[in-house]
Amino acid sequence: MSKELEVSNETKAKLRELRILSDKAEAGEKGARRELRRAIRNSTPEVVAKASDIARKGHMILIGAAAGGDPLMKEALSARLDLMRTQIAGESPSPLEALLTDRVVSCWLLVELLEALTSAQLQTGEHMKDKHVPDSFLKLIFKWQESTHRRYLTAMRELARIRKLQRGTPEVQYNTQINLRSE
Amino acid sequence: MGWENRERGGRYYTRSRKVDGRVVREYVGGGLIGELAARFDEAEREKRKVEAAMVHLERARVEALVVPVVELYEVTEVLCRAALVDGGYRRYQGKWRRKREQRT
Repeated sequence: MSKELEVSNETKAKLRELRILSDKAEAGEKGARRELRRAIRNSTPEVVAKASDIARKGHMILIGAAAGGDPLMKEALSARLDLMRTQIAGESPSPLEALLTDRVVSCWLLVELLEALTSAQLQTGEHMKDKHVPDSFLKLIFKWQESTHRRYLTAMRELARIRKLQRGTPEVQYNTQINLRSE
Repeated sequence: MGWENRERGGRYYTRSRKVDGRVVREYVGGGLIGELAARFDEAEREKRKVEAAMVHLERARVEALVVPVVELYEVTEVLCRAALVDGGYRRYQGKWRRKREQRT
């Protein structure tokens, strides 16, 4: 895998910190929740930015593979992904929601791609002669397909959960002053 | 696997394969039969080599598609989990549940 598609060591360290603090907070350790909140506030924007970058580059690779060198198909797929992203993310999504949307879209495209790959392998006929991969490799693709599909479903579920969570916390607080005493 | 020189003179083609974890040698023969078996095995070996190279290439191609998605998935997973724990969720038997509000 190319280096630009990997999360940097610095970001990995931040993720590790978030993971450890989540564990501690889940276990009910005193003060861990406050620490976690601080870590989320400090590191989430940067990690989200890095992950969004990976998502964007990953999309380009997936689109390129699915289009197979056809520029029209490439454009169509790109537009389709943009549309999906808008539909799923909705209006003014939070950075985390936007990232989760990217995850759903990536998983969807990968599921479609792997499905196309396996369908092609299951075809028979003269045109498929010498194009079949060995069974061991086909098994591997099936495994990838299965785990990607599972990830796709989880990604959608998590997005819904985060949305529900964020709905409960108002972003803007309105204070209205009412004067009851008449002059 | 290969040709053996016999003490009486002449060559003999043998094959070795694993049966239940033990190496078993199969004595094929000398002369034309041995020659044909050797060529057949050579062709099989070549075919397997080409197949392995193809699988290696295909695997790298598919992995290049899968890995960025997995990477994105894992990063998002950590962020999601942190947000959920911070938001009062906890995992119960692998499922996320909202903690009950404490009564005051």
